[in-house]
Amino acid sequence: MNCSGRYDFNEPQWCPGCGNFDILTCVKEALCGLDLKPQDFIMVTGIGQASKLGFSVKCNLFNGLHGRALPVAAGVNMANHKLKLISVSGDGDYYSEGGNHFIHAARRNLDIAVFAGDNRVYGLTKGQASPTSSPDFSTPIHPEGVGGKPVNPALLALASGATFVARAFSGNKPELTGLMKQAIEHKGFALLDIMSPCITFNKVNTFGWFRQRAKPLGPEHDPSDFDAALSLVSRAQETIPTGLIYKTDRPAFDARFSALKGEAIAVRTAAYSPERVRPLFEKFK
Amino acid sequence: MEHLNIVIAGAAGQGVQSAGEILGKTLLRLGYHIFITQDYQSRVRGGHNFMSVRFSGGPLAAPVRRADYLLALNEESVGLRLGDLGAEGLAFCLEADKGANTDPRLRVLPDSLGPEAARGEKFAAVKLVSMLFASLGFQPDILAGSVKKMFEGRLKPEALQANLDAVAAVSGFIGAKDVRPPAFKPAPSPDRMLISGNDAVALGMVAAGIGVYAGYPITPSTTILNALGTVGPKLGIAVEQAEDEIAALNLAIGASYAGARAACGSSGPGMSLMAEAIGLAGITETPVVIYDGQRASPSTGMATRTEQGDLLSLVNISHGEFPRAVISPATHEDSFYLAAEAFNIADAWQVPVFLANDLGQAGSESTVGEFDVSRVRIDRGLFAPEPAGPEMLARYAVTDSGVSPRAVPGLSKWLVSCDSHEHDEHGHLTDDPANRVAQHSKRMRKLAGMAASFPGPEIIDPGRPVCVIAWGSTVGPLLEAKLLLKEKGIDFSVAVFRYLYPLDKEKVREALNGFKRLVTLEQNYSGQLGKLLRMECGVETHAHLGKYDGRNLTVEAAAALLESGLGGKV
Repeated sequence: MNCSGRYDFNEPQWCPGCGNFDILTCVKEALCGLDLKPQDFIMVTGIGQASKLGFSVKCNLFNGLHGRALPVAAGVNMANHKLKLISVSGDGDYYSEGGNHFIHAARRNLDIAVFAGDNRVYGLTKGQASPTSSPDFSTPIHPEGVGGKPVNPALLALASGATFVARAFSGNKPELTGLMKQAIEHKGFALLDIMSPCITFNKVNTFGWFRQRAKPLGPEHDPSDFDAALSLVSRAQETIPTGLIYKTDRPAFDARFSALKGEAIAVRTAAYSPERVRPLFEKFK
Repeated sequence: MEHLNIVIAGAAGQGVQSAGEILGKTLLRLGYHIFITQDYQSRVRGGHNFMSVRFSGGPLAAPVRRADYLLALNEESVGLRLGDLGAEGLAFCLEADKGANTDPRLRVLPDSLGPEAARGEKFAAVKLVSMLFASLGFQPDILAGSVKKMFEGRLKPEALQANLDAVAAVSGFIGAKDVRPPAFKPAPSPDRMLISGNDAVALGMVAAGIGVYAGYPITPSTTILNALGTVGPKLGIAVEQAEDEIAALNLAIGASYAGARAACGSSGPGMSLMAEAIGLAGITETPVVIYDGQRASPSTGMATRTEQGDLLSLVNISHGEFPRAVISPATHEDSFYLAAEAFNIADAWQVPVFLANDLGQAGSESTVGEFDVSRVRIDRGLFAPEPAGPEMLARYAVTDSGVSPRAVPGLSKWLVSCDSHEHDEHGHLTDDPANRVAQHSKRMRKLAGMAASFPGPEIIDPGRPVCVIAWGSTVGPLLEAKLLLKEKGIDFSVAVFRYLYPLDKEKVREALNGFKRLVTLEQNYSGQLGKLLRMECGVETHAHLGKYDGRNLTVEAAAALLESGLGGKV
């Protein structure tokens, strides 16, 4: 089936060779593969080159503030828990400006697929360090290196309660598309950590650098084993494993609300009458 | 206004709240009108807190300072609050709390009174309320009924019985000369409710059809989160305690985009955090209601104290220019209707709407007639007719009013794109200069339309040479002080502003035309409404009477401010 053309929209404006082109191709293929029509889902994005992907997909889009796509998504979910939610952004957006929201969206197990393109650098603002930059990464702001310890997105997601954690490389499109489909179908918070090169501002973590290290997980890894997942993502290693790292079932955010059983609040709203308040008067008499 | 004012004072955790609740509910059932204010510190235990329960045979809209009764739950409270007790007043305390106090108005309850099981500090509140009831000449079984109703299920049966025994034992203790039934009669009405400003706001939101509410705990707005959270499961309202105020407003914006009526609430510190997302609602033209329970000072300030210090902040908050509305209830009753109307304004104009309350009004309670549900209308504003097949909505189509038809993504064939960037008619980013002018002027045009649709100020007793201008919880004390001052020959008109921004210049100028002097009375230092009137309408106010000690504005304080500010000039 090839229906990815149905999502074609504005031409993206990234540098030739940018990993975001591959991510965009895979998003469209995953949507097509799942036969999700443009009106069947909402994409929420933040700010940064990765987030600009939303403008190139024909769909419902809420392009919000830097770092704050996920609380917008939580609101969408509360108003209409039946809608599929997909968020696309980058390392600076999710882990720096939006770090608190990322932790809490995972903790809540918000039903969303998060496609986090990680190029380990700030592209939109031209070359500053990101929370995932390596300690020796140097920039005009950090001539002596960034220092510290980079955020480990998969480990952060696991520790925060994400129920689906996977990693992919933008250069391996079949694997990326397959994981995107699984993430969209997962009921709960799904992080797909996507290694994606910035060819202009990151001369260290290049396409070749990622390609050399990205290595698909073998069948020996059991994604239902939390300890194995923790160990896998926290171990220092030569290669960077890709594939499904962890998946479990836990009631999603919306399962907590009896208000979110049956029809969506957005649907019920049309029938609301001011009379609904009347039974509440008794308590004050 | 003929009334009695009872002050219940003690440390946090000593039962000031329970005593006030029992008293309030009992007076309500007896058919009185009531006004209750709290004065408390930001702590869970200890400190000095008090509650004033004022009651009367007629409607009350303000607290008073002078007390007729003091129920002191500890020794410190006897010392600290006797000063506010009238010369003819009575103070009650337990023997253990008498200390060295020898005030002739003090009545001390011996520890030996009542059964063993009902002695000690724990029973102070219920015993002192029982003394009060005996002094007011009320039958003890009325209080026993209230105690039973309130504590049944909350307390173990033996503890409940001990409380009832305490009520019975104490009621006979009051001497005949201390029995002073109220000089006024109750005026029972089955529809009367005793309600706080915040509860009235929460009910107004329910009446308006709210679907999603978010907030982060903060005084004085947490009680709205509590109220909506509690009824949410039954009424189908999804309420979330967000990770911070930033998330709370982003969440409400997301919910509104997806078709719910949505709101969030906080106080000044949370407004500062929400500033960024307020601009997001502005540029994405997402209807949302934002409740601000104003409290004193910048930064953390005085968390449990009141002020009207956020008005100019709300008018300007967030960078860049975009339309917004600011409305403010002047009474507990207003709080219900304006909370409901806020959603219509948000939907009609697709803007963030601030419902600006102040802590004094948010946390105080008064008796109101049952809210008239038929006065509430739900108007969702302009929607685009459904297309034949899926296509991108011109969500930001340029119109004369500035309002573009919207659609609910997921429930419509329209694809809806909203963008925090400057965007074209279809919601996609562009910084094209001609588009910027078209989109920005489209959004800003809403201000004139909104202002024209808003009522002007309410003018009370027009035609005096001086007009005192007020908003929010200042209005109640101002109007009662006005009656007192009239007896002293000081008379003036009053202008009450409920719709604070945007202001219709002509409407405001016409309403305030003809007065020789315009004086603002506000609970802030700088006279923010006065500044706003000058800025927006070119209206020159002549003086500002400001109060900013953080305490609830009482009738006496309002009268003193007005007398010193207006004396000899009216």
